[in-house]
Amino acid sequence: MTKSRITRRGALKVSLMTATLAGTASLFGPWQHNRVWAQGTKKPIKLGLTCDASGQYGNSGQDDLRGMRLAIEEFNAKGGVLGRKVEWITADTETNPATGTRVAERFIAQEQCGFLIGALHSGVANAITQVANKYGTIYMNTNSSAPSEAGENCSRVKFVWDGNGTNFSKAAVASAVQKIGKKWLLLTNDYVWGHTTAAATKAEVEKAGGRIVDNLLVPQNTRDFTAYLLKVQQIKPDVVAMAIGGDDIKALRQQIAELKLEDKAAWINNQQDWPDIWGVPETLFGVFGTNWYHKLPLPGVPEFVKRWQTTYPQSPIPVPGNVSYNGYMATRELLRAIEQTGTTNNIAIIKALEGRKMSALDRMQNYDAYIDPVTHQIQQTIYLAKRNPKPVDKTDLFEILSDATPEQAFDTASLKTCKLKPYADIPAYEQ
Amino acid sequence: MQKGRPIPTLTPSMIAIWLAFATVPLWIEKVGLYQYLGVEILIFATYAMAYNLVLGHSGLPSFGHGAFFGLGAYAFGLAQQNIAPDLWLCLGVAVGAAAIGGALVAAFISHRRGIYYSLLTIAFGQVFWFIAIKSHAITGGEDGLLKIERLPVRLGFATLELRDNIALFYFVLAVFVVVTLLLWRLIHSPFGRILKAIKQNETRARFVGYDVWRYKAAVLVLSAGLSGLAGGLFAMAQSSAFPDVMSLHYSGYVVMMALIGGGLVTFWGPVLGAIVFLLARDVIGAFTTGWMLWFGLLFVILVMYKPEGLGGLFLRPLSARAR
Amino acid sequence: MSIVGLLPHLVNGLALGLLFALLALGFMLILGLMEQINLAHGSLFALGAYFAYAIATPRLPLPPDLLAIWAAVPLGWRFTAAMLLAPVLVAPFGVVLERMMRRTYGRDPLYGLLLTFGMAMVLEELIRTVWGTRDYMLPVPRGISGGFLMLDLIWSTYRFWAAGFAVVAMAIVWVVIERTRFGALVKAGAHDSEMVRALGHDLEKLRVWVFVLGTMMAALAGVILAPVWGIRPHMGVDAVVPSFLIIVLGGVGSFWGAVLGGILVGMVVGLSGAYASEWSMMSMYLLLIAVVTFRARGLFGKKSVLEA
Repeated sequence: MTKSRITRRGALKVSLMTATLAGTASLFGPWQHNRVWAQGTKKPIKLGLTCDASGQYGNSGQDDLRGMRLAIEEFNAKGGVLGRKVEWITADTETNPATGTRVAERFIAQEQCGFLIGALHSGVANAITQVANKYGTIYMNTNSSAPSEAGENCSRVKFVWDGNGTNFSKAAVASAVQKIGKKWLLLTNDYVWGHTTAAATKAEVEKAGGRIVDNLLVPQNTRDFTAYLLKVQQIKPDVVAMAIGGDDIKALRQQIAELKLEDKAAWINNQQDWPDIWGVPETLFGVFGTNWYHKLPLPGVPEFVKRWQTTYPQSPIPVPGNVSYNGYMATRELLRAIEQTGTTNNIAIIKALEGRKMSALDRMQNYDAYIDPVTHQIQQTIYLAKRNPKPVDKTDLFEILSDATPEQAFDTASLKTCKLKPYADIPAYEQ
Repeated sequence: MQKGRPIPTLTPSMIAIWLAFATVPLWIEKVGLYQYLGVEILIFATYAMAYNLVLGHSGLPSFGHGAFFGLGAYAFGLAQQNIAPDLWLCLGVAVGAAAIGGALVAAFISHRRGIYYSLLTIAFGQVFWFIAIKSHAITGGEDGLLKIERLPVRLGFATLELRDNIALFYFVLAVFVVVTLLLWRLIHSPFGRILKAIKQNETRARFVGYDVWRYKAAVLVLSAGLSGLAGGLFAMAQSSAFPDVMSLHYSGYVVMMALIGGGLVTFWGPVLGAIVFLLARDVIGAFTTGWMLWFGLLFVILVMYKPEGLGGLFLRPLSARAR
Repeated sequence: MSIVGLLPHLVNGLALGLLFALLALGFMLILGLMEQINLAHGSLFALGAYFAYAIATPRLPLPPDLLAIWAAVPLGWRFTAAMLLAPVLVAPFGVVLERMMRRTYGRDPLYGLLLTFGMAMVLEELIRTVWGTRDYMLPVPRGISGGFLMLDLIWSTYRFWAAGFAVVAMAIVWVVIERTRFGALVKAGAHDSEMVRALGHDLEKLRVWVFVLGTMMAALAGVILAPVWGIRPHMGVDAVVPSFLIIVLGGVGSFWGAVLGGILVGMVVGLSGAYASEWSMMSMYLLLIAVVTFRARGLFGKKSVLEA
């Protein structure tokens, strides 16, 4: 028996099988998305929503998605954008950069999405940005708040909607150094967002005359924080500044609360995402940053919350938080920009978004916001909050302590690190 | 074993498979898929073939091959950013780095076999994975090494750009052709026959007088180097290198690919396995985030009832006599 | 760092090590006595934690009245019930797994490894489908939760209770293996299955029982560790890697090897936590490589069929 007889017939079978498999793949369509509008005369505008459904930010990714879908539904209820319906598709990016790349490729190349929206994890956001860069596809980074997102990893096609680590540090650090103490310890999630945020905090602390005694790096997905908490106790800092995200911060808060270590030092959490609080509100302590809260005493807020709740009566998180808010705002502003420019040409839309002003009333925040033309980051109000001692209902977890204007929280370093490509180098497209 | 008839360098099935792949960019979009998926499938097919040199042809159940694939990816990116942005040089570094990694592991484990071999490869795989995550100054940590360029192919007389997914596909195909040819020759060389002897009965091979340790080390180094090559291509496809491909899960995936396709009994099995695996991930993944549930079940059933893999259904076994 | 400064990390490491040992022991039973690597060990561990969560919180698929009655029972009782019941509820999964693995007996052990790898994938997704992707916390009764003061530092009380539970569980396993007829048969079966069969014992049944014991150990470890490590779909994979590592370190087939391996890993992780906390998980892999380089079969390993 010779091996050359792996035979033509066998090989033919292989290629046939390849073809059959591929064929089945297409038969298995349509993909998981909303095709209700497809019968319309005009081609729909299609958005690819890159949301984590699993991994460290699986929970937040789905809350992000709820915000985006609400904005899309509101436009469709008004008859769409430019007379075209807005379609969307989503897939699990798994809090995993490699998956982010593949999903972005599929959305752009196969699903013909003209725009991508979503991301919590800075690694995933970077991966998506790289793909978007290649095709010139506009990408709304809704919730990844690493300062590098609008700094060294900024892009002409990407817009960053969340306040970043530097913004929150600027809003919190200086007064904390004066009021609480100069001896600071950093607890940092071991990835880009953590590192860049810790660096920003360090700079602010030192500028205010404080001192960083140590920076403990916590690997992602750590659940047992005993070793870190022992070190915190041994070091005895005045302030512990945490940059820990997703489900990790939930576990950490729980362990600090169980040991009653809240009073051993002042705990400052750079940014506290709403989905990370919901479910374990009893462990909320310390001071933390956010860019929106569903009980801000501002016009439009109750109405927005109501609309959101009517749309998602079954939502595991009963009220919109900052993550869902950012998803909503990014999607709404993108669709408005398309409507106002009257085209889906990416360069025209980018130009319409750059420098765009959004009123405080419109964004339901205390101060007017704008999209920075140099970094593509949304400059907005930053709030500091702590646990509400007198909640009016079970969702009323925050007491807003102070707010900082976009100027006060401005991330000056990003102006130097961010270099946007000229328009001419962006592949132009229309959808 | 193959008295009389020499093994041909090229076989009809080989050419048919290459040609079948060459047509993929022409129809892949028509069947509702996308060019990038084709690139990924071909890269993983190369990887699975390289891996099968160890599992299928030598009977060494490595469960930590992701380390070598990842080493190749990182080495490719780092060479490009720190040495010179030349495709051949970077691919060379990718192969070299993975081979050195393979040699290091081989030095520790080549006297082991069976499950012990698996356990130690898992441990080494974890070490490499962990180092990749922790050395963020070099690898970018959990976020990966970004901004890796798809370097142009410099042939002396012409330069081909690979930015486009189709161009990259054909380049990967060229690499695939070279790798499969090389593997084909290798397993039919005297070296390959000794590997087979070791696979069938290591003790006997030793008694016959072969230095088994040296052969087992050599085959791991070779397989690691070729896996690194695939990793380098993957870094180009993704424009980045991520630690995830080095995790236990991903190391397990390539074992699944090799096995599903029938890598234990046929030469081309891993290619079939890579196709089935990646298509299933994309197609089932489009419906439900729980694609692993269905794919895992499929895999379990296959292991239970058809351990020789799908290849056993469709392809003629590598050695009918052995079964 | 002074010796006094190190002491807390040593204590922490010892507690952690006992938990690691417990985690590894079920894995060792199946590997050492049946020559099967059960990569689904982690998933059974996770199932134990999830079942415990369902029993203790309580979120059970019961009629509302019954559920209300159960919810009114003090947490201490519910927690105890979870610890006793969850392993029993997970046991059938082990039986099914063993049934499936039967098809791989007599073949290359690689197939058992692959089959359980596939099952680990399936079980993890199953958990994700039923409970979602979010994290859960297993509530701990007041009496054994909270913190206490020692060495001028506040410690988690439950951690030491957990270590205590682990010691008790391991003692029970030791008695079963070393002091009962069942244990003797199992050990004999591992060495010479023909002999056991010739003596008129049903090897098939024996294997099922070993698997059930291993599964229950995994599930029990899941319950005990849930308040420390949290409950989430990925916890199975996080658990299975250290457990096999401990086995290789301690030596396949050795009870004391698994215990010592666990404690050693815990101590190394704890101590490295004092100096470079972010490298602490890495240290256990380096420990493994160091030990295995000098002692090919781990600390207490005997020659086993696995090497042939």
